[in-house]
Amino acid sequence: MGTTAEYNATAGKVVIDEHQGHPGIKATTLDYGQINDEMLAMLDKPRPSYYLLLLGFLMALGLGALSLAIQVDVGIGYSGISHPIAWGFYITNFVFWIGIGHAGTLISAVFYLTRAPWRTAIYRSAEAMTVFAVMTAGLFPLLHTGRPWLAYWLIPYPNERMLWVNFKSPLVWDVFAVTTYMSVSIMFFMLGLIPDMAILRDEAIRKGKKLKALIYAPMALAWRGTNHQWIHYMRGYLIFAALATPLVFSVHSIVSWDFAMSSVPGWHTTIFAPYFVAGAIFSGLSMVMTVLIPMRAVFGLQDYITNHVIQSVSKMIIFTSMIVGYAYASEFFIGYYSGSPFERAIFYYRPFGEMESWTLLGENQINFPQIAFWLMVFCNVIAPIPLWRWKIRNNALAVWIITIFVNIGMWFERFNIVGSSLQHEYDPAAWGEYWPTVVEVGITVGSFGFFFTLFTLFAKSLPPMAIMELKEATNPPMRNAAKGH
Amino acid sequence: MSKFTGVWAIFEYLDETTETIEQVRKEGVQPTVISPCPRHEIDHALGEPTTIVPWIALAFGALGCFIGYSLPAWTASDWVLPVSGKPIVAIPPFTIIGFELTILFAAIHTLAGLALLGIIDSFRFPIPKGAKDYPRFQRDRFGVVVRCEESKLEEFENLMKKNGAEEVHVEK
Repeated sequence: MGTTAEYNATAGKVVIDEHQGHPGIKATTLDYGQINDEMLAMLDKPRPSYYLLLLGFLMALGLGALSLAIQVDVGIGYSGISHPIAWGFYITNFVFWIGIGHAGTLISAVFYLTRAPWRTAIYRSAEAMTVFAVMTAGLFPLLHTGRPWLAYWLIPYPNERMLWVNFKSPLVWDVFAVTTYMSVSIMFFMLGLIPDMAILRDEAIRKGKKLKALIYAPMALAWRGTNHQWIHYMRGYLIFAALATPLVFSVHSIVSWDFAMSSVPGWHTTIFAPYFVAGAIFSGLSMVMTVLIPMRAVFGLQDYITNHVIQSVSKMIIFTSMIVGYAYASEFFIGYYSGSPFERAIFYYRPFGEMESWTLLGENQINFPQIAFWLMVFCNVIAPIPLWRWKIRNNALAVWIITIFVNIGMWFERFNIVGSSLQHEYDPAAWGEYWPTVVEVGITVGSFGFFFTLFTLFAKSLPPMAIMELKEATNPPMRNAAKGH
Repeated sequence: MSKFTGVWAIFEYLDETTETIEQVRKEGVQPTVISPCPRHEIDHALGEPTTIVPWIALAFGALGCFIGYSLPAWTASDWVLPVSGKPIVAIPPFTIIGFELTILFAAIHTLAGLALLGIIDSFRFPIPKGAKDYPRFQRDRFGVVVRCEESKLEEFENLMKKNGAEEVHVEK
């Protein structure tokens, strides 16, 4: 690996060159024992503010659970979903949360294969976010079916109805894609945790904490750190990264085909797969920053999640912002160039709605899709522009604010796609309008509560950084420093 | 498991560990090394050991691919549902299922495989209880475990002490 943290024997210290692409993580200046101590200190008893934060998220989760109970009890008619708008907030949330999940695998797998050293400090948290985001996303299609207790009908199994699922349907592809993605993400996350669980187990033994040792021991899967275990582990990890990489790109492509395979104006386009994947990475990386920047401040992790890491993620955000911006423009151009009146109509409807002129006067009214469209353009294309400046990228607070805009924008992008096309399909007599009900809003808020509750619990129960990889990134202890590699 | 006879030592420094490994291998014994993180220096000293994990991934990935194509093809043939004159057994849509199951099968069996190989290796290359329970191997120390005949115990003990081991334990 092209590390730029080199041991300078003459100077007698580790020299870190941040500008050459090294994360500049503090770990490179610490010894193995100190890394252990610093990381494990993060799992100490939380401060009252932690419980206050957790309570807030739990309240959001509670609101979601209550709304969910009403929705399941009364039925799908209690939502705003009705003919002709069959897909509303729930599918929007599904696509949004699947997208959020993409950053974790991108950081843990793709950047592992491409040897991006700055991933070390953030990949564990990003991976946890993937797992939690996909868990959150998975709830929505089940809920959307209206009868979630019959969700197992989606699985192909021999049954008394003598029916099989339709493997030519994009919805069944989605079942396979999302369950595979969730399974692989969870396994990848667990795999990365094994050596760290052994560290927690042995530290608990060393400090005489028997109960903790008893909890961590089964999770460590009898890990001892022998060379036999390491060789299987490291090769297995590489294979997992290689398997997860195409999966990242396939999952959101398949999600996009839920739309693109239909003949609905505004959906039936070949650009959807790359457009969705870029959007997923864009929103996922933004969520990583939205969560990790406050975490860095709370835990005092400025020496690990350095400004260099934030800068690197910001550059990815700019890059993907440009791709989605290009995709928005391309959609409009192709809508015009197709010559299809239905395509042209939907791409007029998205920004301008029923307006007959460019003024907001008269009886023209703004609908939800128009609000979604302009929020999408502002948050995803315009708001990230300041990130081009080094000074802005180097300012954690500024990056945090921009990433919140991006999160909002990406949610509305999903809604813009889902909602607008269904409201104005082919026949004006079958046009309709969609506004969510309070139950749908409650479940949406609950999904954020679910995600953030899980992440908050994770941050205090498992090491939010990969201790083993931090050790790998540092210079090993050498009696004779000249022999260092 | 047979009773362990051999020597194990604790090292603070990586270079001393690798020197010990090389010298033990010159004596015709392949040691087991314990380390807090993977180091390629240790792999070099051990003679670049290999693993069959990639073959497990390949084999089960191929199985997943086969199932991913054959399951939709069989179910489509079992309950024929003609749509718009399109083929009943259609390769492009089934490729998606084939791809997903390739990844899923390869991933599950890679994880299961490396866990199983870890168990097998713990029987093939046993380490003494003292070394297993020593908590600093996961923290900041390296361990070298040599399984040998009783006649060679002293020789290896001296070798490890000479190379700067913090502690040397002889197990008979």
